[in-house]
Amino acid sequence: MSDPLRILVVEDEALILMQIEMMLEEAGHSVVGTAMTAAEAIAQIEACRPELVLIDLRLADGSSGLEVAQAIRERDGITAAFMTANARQLSEEMEGATAVIAKPFSEAVLEDALAYLKACVRRPPPSEPVPNGMRISAECLARFDAMRH
Amino acid sequence: MESSDAWRQTGGLDTEQGKGDPFAAAVRATRMAMIITDPRLPDNPIVFANDAFLRMTGYERGEVMGRNCRFLQGANTDRGAVALIREAVTAGRDIAIDILNYRKDGAPFWNALYLSPVTNEGGEVPYFFASQLDVTDRVDAHLKVEQEKAHFEAEVAKRTQDLSQSLATQTMLVHEVDHRVKNNLQMIAALLAMQTKAITDPSARAAMEMMLTRVEALGIVHRRLYQSNDVERFDVAEFARDLSTDLVRGSGRDGIRLHLDLEAVEVPVSKAPPVALMMNELITNALKHAFPGDRPGRLSVTVAPDGKYFAIRIADDGVGMPVEVMEKRSFGKRLIGTLCRQLNASIAWQSNEPGTTVNIRLPREMADSSETP
Repeated sequence: MSDPLRILVVEDEALILMQIEMMLEEAGHSVVGTAMTAAEAIAQIEACRPELVLIDLRLADGSSGLEVAQAIRERDGITAAFMTANARQLSEEMEGATAVIAKPFSEAVLEDALAYLKACVRRPPPSEPVPNGMRISAECLARFDAMRH
Repeated sequence: MESSDAWRQTGGLDTEQGKGDPFAAAVRATRMAMIITDPRLPDNPIVFANDAFLRMTGYERGEVMGRNCRFLQGANTDRGAVALIREAVTAGRDIAIDILNYRKDGAPFWNALYLSPVTNEGGEVPYFFASQLDVTDRVDAHLKVEQEKAHFEAEVAKRTQDLSQSLATQTMLVHEVDHRVKNNLQMIAALLAMQTKAITDPSARAAMEMMLTRVEALGIVHRRLYQSNDVERFDVAEFARDLSTDLVRGSGRDGIRLHLDLEAVEVPVSKAPPVALMMNELITNALKHAFPGDRPGRLSVTVAPDGKYFAIRIADDGVGMPVEVMEKRSFGKRLIGTLCRQLNASIAWQSNEPGTTVNIRLPREMADSSETP
């Protein structure tokens, strides 16, 4: 990929983390870091300066992906997206994250979600339909609409 | 009869009859306890008490005459009720009130007191008349009912709280199980996907890929299940949209146009996995066999209600299913047959010019073994 995204993956299930990492690398992206707890993730954000952070909601050591999203909210230039089996628990605001990808997802779903998120990070966001299994925060949708007009 | 008339009449009788006044005789002899007090004397003392009053309270006449009635009050007498009586006396108006009094021997009793001023022709109140009725049984019964009511209300409140807690626990448990099922499906899919990538043998790889799509189809079922508020029903149309777009997208075949004709059909959740697996087999088959090479084409997926039944149609305009595939007893076809049996569904394969159409008709509600579509 000529223009790879710098991605941090925050996921406490090692197998899922491994699959996502492999998939992102195959797709040509750069996985700049991985984390299994909120504290690790926040440290990685400082160290690796990712453009996109994919965050599981429930993390190891009982910490929450919400803490990671809050830390990202305070920094500019980082897009956050949750990946969770508890998508309904998230409010419309999604703690400042752009989107939620509902688990379980297939590789095709994740690829579509990444294409959408890449557009959110780099370009004016896409106006085409939101991919399957993905929900965009109300705040971001409003911001995208404003950017398009 | 107005009270002034009544007063005049009793006054007249008193004059006529002297000590033989029949009203005075009646008051003395009645079984209802009655007293008369004189508010013009200090502390409004009793100036008359009938025998019924003495029987009810257990006092001798000499012990009550000249005393204010408050000697009947005791430790558990309601101070509020006493205050109301005092206010009525001060204002010179009547009052009817239940008050807890005590007999001479200390035994409590509920007294339905009626107190009324006796007004003379000059408008003064020379006397207060009071009648007393022992209503202990009635009040006790009422109190018992109140206590039982309070007890039952407390019981109901406790049971409601217990049930609410139990419901909250169960809801939490359902969410936890839902979360684990989805995470486990994601892990199984991850394992299959990663293993598939490591396989070089084309047929083994194809089998693993097919298995991965089956697991992913079940994954979509679980993802869809808890997106709606109704966890007991499953919308086949919404599922069909996700599944077919995912499968066409996952095939990497840009030349295949997907046409969806979907009407909402809700089925019991227990039907969701077999319906999902069957649709997955049929759509995957079409993608695999109908468009060899880079042949472009159209794949249409229809879900439509049909009375007590609903129909699923998967149609393509591809090369048509080769005879060897039609007749082949593959695992996929066997799987479709088994799922149709479970769903009590009928399935018909039809060769088109061009392409293949598969029509499935199945009951919307739980399969009844005696029912045939």
